Amino acid sequence: MSLKHGWLARIMPSFSQDIEHGGDLEKEYRFFSRSLFAIILVLVLTPLMIISMLSHYQYRQLLQKKELAQIVLNVEQGESTIERFVSKLQSIIKFVGRDDRYQELLDPQALETLFSRLQREYPDFVDLEIIDARGISRSYVGPYQLKGREYGDQTWYRQVLLKGVYISTVFSGFRRVPHFVIAVSRRHPRQPGSWVLRVTIDGNTLQRYVDTIRTSSVDDIFLVDGDQKVLTRPQKYGLVGQHSAFAEAVESTSYDLSSIVAEHEVLLQQHIAITVKKIQGGERILHVAVDLKETPWRLVMVKELYMHGEAWFYFQLRLFSILFCCVVVAIFIILRLSNGITSYIRESDRKRQLFLAEAEHANKLASIGRLAAGVAHEINNPLSIINQKTGLVLDYFEMSGVFDHKEAMEEALDGIQKSVNRCKTITHRLLGFARHTEVESEEIDLNLLLEEVVAFLAKEATYNQICIDYALDQELERIVSDRGQLQQVLLNIVNNAIDAIGSNGRIILGSRQKDRGQVVVTIADNGGGMSREVQQRIFDPFFTTKETGKGTGLGLSITYGIVEKLGGTIRVESEVGAGTCFEITLPVGRGQAG
Amino acid sequence: MIKGKVLIIDDEVEFAATLCQRLRLRGVDAVDIHSGTEGLASLGELGPDIVVLDLKMPDMNGLDILTEIKENHPAIQVIMLTGHGSVASGVRAMEKGAFDYIMKPVDLKELLAKMEQADQDIGGNGGQGGEADERDQRS
Repeated sequence: MSLKHGWLARIMPSFSQDIEHGGDLEKEYRFFSRSLFAIILVLVLTPLMIISMLSHYQYRQLLQKKELAQIVLNVEQGESTIERFVSKLQSIIKFVGRDDRYQELLDPQALETLFSRLQREYPDFVDLEIIDARGISRSYVGPYQLKGREYGDQTWYRQVLLKGVYISTVFSGFRRVPHFVIAVSRRHPRQPGSWVLRVTIDGNTLQRYVDTIRTSSVDDIFLVDGDQKVLTRPQKYGLVGQHSAFAEAVESTSYDLSSIVAEHEVLLQQHIAITVKKIQGGERILHVAVDLKETPWRLVMVKELYMHGEAWFYFQLRLFSILFCCVVVAIFIILRLSNGITSYIRESDRKRQLFLAEAEHANKLASIGRLAAGVAHEINNPLSIINQKTGLVLDYFEMSGVFDHKEAMEEALDGIQKSVNRCKTITHRLLGFARHTEVESEEIDLNLLLEEVVAFLAKEATYNQICIDYALDQELERIVSDRGQLQQVLLNIVNNAIDAIGSNGRIILGSRQKDRGQVVVTIADNGGGMSREVQQRIFDPFFTTKETGKGTGLGLSITYGIVEKLGGTIRVESEVGAGTCFEITLPVGRGQAG
Repeated sequence: MIKGKVLIIDDEVEFAATLCQRLRLRGVDAVDIHSGTEGLASLGELGPDIVVLDLKMPDMNGLDILTEIKENHPAIQVIMLTGHGSVASGVRAMEKGAFDYIMKPVDLKELLAKMEQADQDIGGNGGQGGEADERDQRS
């Protein structure tokens, strides 16, 4: 994708703006930094969020399956235990009430003996009763006076005759103690019809059995009858004899069990009812109920859903803590990263801008140089003619005798020749500025070169009471460069420094090693300094602050060109009233030839 | 005093003529010619000892003229005139056998000094007699 037209281009700072629009560019850098931050953040956080959500979902599924499997196992075990117990009671009662024992058991003594034997084994047996084929209690052993009672029109009696066995719900009745009844009908050996053996059992027996199947993996277990009346004592939810707390509870719709329950299809066929109920207080409870075979009882197991448990709470706590830490760390790192990248781009752009400005400046100098060289060359010829012609006239004057105004004419011709010489200086400098000479390389001790240059100007400095000091690095590496051109550069700058000071001042010439491969020469003066505007134009050709006729405005342009040609750089720092410092950086090895 | 004959070859007529005139005023036997080809052609006829030669002329390059002069008349001393002010051009001309170079606008004193040196050089190498013999042979 092209960087110029792609989505990336929309967030990238557009470097096409120039330096004057630095403020706008800064806005773009900020926008880029923010966009980069947002993009990386999304890239980092999206997978993190997806993984967290998946973990959350998977762990929830796991807990749901586990809790359901556990409660189903408990229900199956509980159902089996209670059904075995009931079956065992039925077997015993059927065994002791064989068909042919009717006559024998009518004898109160025999019934008493049987009851005693049974009670030794099952202390919760409350009483024992023999009912004849008409439904009249013929023999009874127990704490009440029930002999002679008629049961013929009672529902349970008809049921026992019909089905052979009857098991009642748990009830208190006139006894005021919870109990239940198991009755079996036996065929009369010699008469038509059946007689019935009826046993009353203390309700606590059932309670004990329910307690034995109680486990820590469920919150409550109890039995209810067909009307949802609680038959055994619940630990948490409801009371014996009252309606189940879950009978009226709303079934939760937000909790979908179907996908998990589907794995337990067999249970559903066995009439195990699995629901999630919402109780007062908002808690959601897993409610599993199963009808116990051959009894009117229903075993109920309940458990608070995983979401109210510690495992889920700590899992969520850990997950969100880790997620939070990751997000904080990611934000911190991405912020540093996006700021770092933006700074890097900003710095690269700045360098590129500087480079372009320098290239533009160099190009401008080269163009002006070519123009100047052409002009200088063309002017040189007429200058030569003027020079020769005035020389010739002066020659004739010398050969002639005295005539009127001869002296004045000679002075005028002298003036012309001086002007020609001034033009000559200018054209020579222009040509020097433009020409492309070969760099003649030799090994140079810059410290010595500085001292040599100063020797040229020492007298002028002394006349103007200018003190020249040195701050030289005696360990300075020797460089390979063009001695003559370097002399010209240093002469130019030191000369400018003397001009800038005028009189009474100080020039400090310094040298130092910049890093391996580069040395720096500084020429600092405490002259009048320069304004920012002057500093910006100081290397432009024909720019001068000296009075007319004193400077050509080419010295520093030539200096700039030479330093560039020698592979170095020159820069100026100045403050009005404080002075100026030129800093020339030169390569230790041979600079590029221009 | 310059004893040898001086030929000035420069396309700038006014310049060459004036320079020539000034040299003559100083007793120098000087002639001026205003194109490279003419200058080369007249060498045999004029038989100069010193040639003041412009580096840039419209019909011929000064360096090429120098090469031809040095090939055919090695005894002639050539002083190059350059409006370029280029040290490199002067140095190149000297490598090709020029005696010296001088930049325009010409300072007459400087030119005369260089001519005198050239003249002495000719004298040292056999003087005018030797050159005259050569001229005789050529003619």
